[in-house]
Amino acid sequence: MTESTGAHLSLTCGGGKFHCYRIYGIRLSSQIQLPFADCESMQTVDVSLLAESPDFFREATRHAVMTPSPTRWYKYAQLGNGQSYLRWDDLFEFLVDADGRRIWCGWLGAASLESLQVYLLGHALSFALVKQGYEPLHATSVVIDGNAIAFMGSSGFGKSSLAAAFLADGHRLLTDDMLLLRRTDGGYEGQPGPRRIKLFPKIARRFLAGTAGAVPMNNETEKLVLQLSGDHSYSDGVPLRALYVLGPPREVRRKQSIQLISLTARETFIALIRGAFNHVIAGSERLTRQYTEYLNVASQVPARRIGYPRVLSMLPAVKEAILSDVAELARTEQHDRTYAAG
Amino acid sequence: MSQILFSNRARTAPEVMIQEVGGESVLLDLKTERYLGLNEVGTRMWQVLLESDSIQAAYETLLTEYDVTPQQLEEDLRELLGRLLDNALITTEPRD
Repeated sequence: MTESTGAHLSLTCGGGKFHCYRIYGIRLSSQIQLPFADCESMQTVDVSLLAESPDFFREATRHAVMTPSPTRWYKYAQLGNGQSYLRWDDLFEFLVDADGRRIWCGWLGAASLESLQVYLLGHALSFALVKQGYEPLHATSVVIDGNAIAFMGSSGFGKSSLAAAFLADGHRLLTDDMLLLRRTDGGYEGQPGPRRIKLFPKIARRFLAGTAGAVPMNNETEKLVLQLSGDHSYSDGVPLRALYVLGPPREVRRKQSIQLISLTARETFIALIRGAFNHVIAGSERLTRQYTEYLNVASQVPARRIGYPRVLSMLPAVKEAILSDVAELARTEQHDRTYAAG
Repeated sequence: MSQILFSNRARTAPEVMIQEVGGESVLLDLKTERYLGLNEVGTRMWQVLLESDSIQAAYETLLTEYDVTPQQLEEDLRELLGRLLDNALITTEPRD
């Protein structure tokens, strides 16, 4: 587990220097120094991250009409020029350019760099990605034997907690909270996200040897942001093997067993639509693209619905059930390949 | 529920996309931004409706494919058509 400075940064951090990062397979050029290793300078950049003053945002949003987000976690406004403004009161504000190529960031109060990561590289970046034609999912993913499996479900359904159980078992995190897929010849590849996971303290203590170096996400939750080392995180894209859609926490009672049900492609599609990271950007063009893309994913990636009692001590058993299912999937695919070749 | 004339034919509404996946279907209405799923039977009914000159012709084709009473099939077909019409996913019009 890496140490975090928990440093608070001023808007003048970085100055004129731009740092280069590769996250979610996307090339980022950032005026804000993020807690990742710089990659080699890039000739082309997908998204530029720029720090700006409150006056900049005030001017940009002078005529904006603010709307609560679908989850009411933040407020947003779609501006007349195609830009998108997002705001977490007392934390951060962001402006995403119409073509998704630039994100301007501003601090609204004392908040840590680790906290900024969560908001900037999650919701704010999702606007940029959708505007550039990507369809990120609200999912957490771990790597099993060189393949990714992804956990989908609404906030609070336990995706990160389940991932922590896998990390404790020696597997590595591909990404927490947002998953970007790239189409390949063989199917889809999950892209590596920031090397951090958000967990409640008791989960971190149980599965990740404590909370040393962890930083609170914000003042309204106990959730911590924990930076991960290379031993706990994966830094390359990997084939997506399967999706696991988590049922609501109260669906399965404490003494009931783990339920694992295969989903049809149609049911998988509906789960993907519900699991889209960004439900704010609408319009025919986006919906058509999302429809086509998610239908492709649904037709190529097997999915299961998983229900289990939300009891901490059950998580290792849930992990084992998923590992068995993944192994069975691999056996079935090998069998199908053998017969197809024969 | 909209009135359904079996002498009419059914057509997909202009802003509706439909894609078959794994034997079932997903429809997207771009106007309302809503999705509807059809299971295998619903998907087959939809396919036959769109291929046929009239709802009556579709009904007769489906009768040869499913082992149900004519009354049950008519009831199921009317129910599906009703849902599709109420959600403006299809239109019906007199045959040429």
